[in-house]
Amino acid sequence: MPKVKAKRQSVSLDMTAMCDVAFLLLTFFMLTAKFRPEEAVTITPPTSISEKPLPSEKGVITISVAPDGKIFMGVDDKEAQQMMLERMANRVGVPITATMQKNFMASEIVGYPAGALKQVLEEKPSAWKAKGYYQGIPCDSVTNELFLWVTYAKLANPALQVAIKGDGNSNYKVFNQVVGTLQSQNINVFQLITGPENKPRN
Amino acid sequence: MAEIDQSGGGKKGGKKRSKKASTKIDMTPMVDLGFLLITFFMLTTTLAKPVTMQLSMPDKTETKETSPVKASETLTVLPDENKVYYYQGKPGDAAAVVQVTDYSDQGIRQVLFRLKKQIGQNFTIVIKATKGAKYKNMVDLLDECAITDNKRYALLEITPIDEEMVKKSGK
Repeated sequence: MPKVKAKRQSVSLDMTAMCDVAFLLLTFFMLTAKFRPEEAVTITPPTSISEKPLPSEKGVITISVAPDGKIFMGVDDKEAQQMMLERMANRVGVPITATMQKNFMASEIVGYPAGALKQVLEEKPSAWKAKGYYQGIPCDSVTNELFLWVTYAKLANPALQVAIKGDGNSNYKVFNQVVGTLQSQNINVFQLITGPENKPRN
Repeated sequence: MAEIDQSGGGKKGGKKRSKKASTKIDMTPMVDLGFLLITFFMLTTTLAKPVTMQLSMPDKTETKETSPVKASETLTVLPDENKVYYYQGKPGDAAAVVQVTDYSDQGIRQVLFRLKKQIGQNFTIVIKATKGAKYKNMVDLLDECAITDNKRYALLEITPIDEEMVKKSGK
């Protein structure tokens, strides 16, 4: 009697469909993902148990405090950004050219003294970091330019909310200075940007 | 993966046929790569979402009288870089003794829980950051206030009296 041979079945699957799905999903996620704006410096905010996302429908002024205490500011309202540049340039007496305006609008953040406005804005934002232009906005009792920038932004859009994104290791003094500056123009509610953290169980 | 060759031998005789190359490609590594990238993108996009905590400061221009707070019902917290000083009562009083603890869940959180239970609704926390404090420490304390469900807290500037008290305690 001959042995009964089990019929061998092919083990290979048709992977084409699976591959299609995988790459479709991949493309979808890649296209919908928002690119993180290029940061002048890396800021690691402290964590908190808060779960509220940043309210952004009315526009947000984000004030960042770097670990070394430098202050940066960004506005997500293009109109306000435009207005800020016009008023600030007017104040320091610098005529705005089309290139300067384009570079200012393309950059996410303001992080240089107003005196350097012309020099900085004549370069492309991508070159600023390498050239060391991110020196921070002066914010002390002598020259408080943060006060001016925020005032100008608020003039264009009074509904702008203020968010503070401080690095966990920055000194409290700097934060206090920022808050003091904002309070002096009657902004008393701040959104502190933090990283997520699990709630303790008890 | 190995494809089983089922075409059989057939070397001998027959017409010479041009060999047909198989059109099947092994897609497994490609699928692997696809799913790996998907996983990566999904994880990075959801984890980067920041959250906020709202901080309301008192209006400096408003001169309206606010409700008075009893000194015995307040706890003054003085965060330093790695430890937290705290005392109950009025600064400079003999009864106010500076104690020290840390930021762990057995540290300042237990103090806040205990005092909240003891004092009740009027318990007020005053946060005065010392010169060495980092921003993180302040946020940690605000977070502790939220965890222990205390809504009465205030951020104030540190005074020389407070600094003196910390120095004297020698901790």
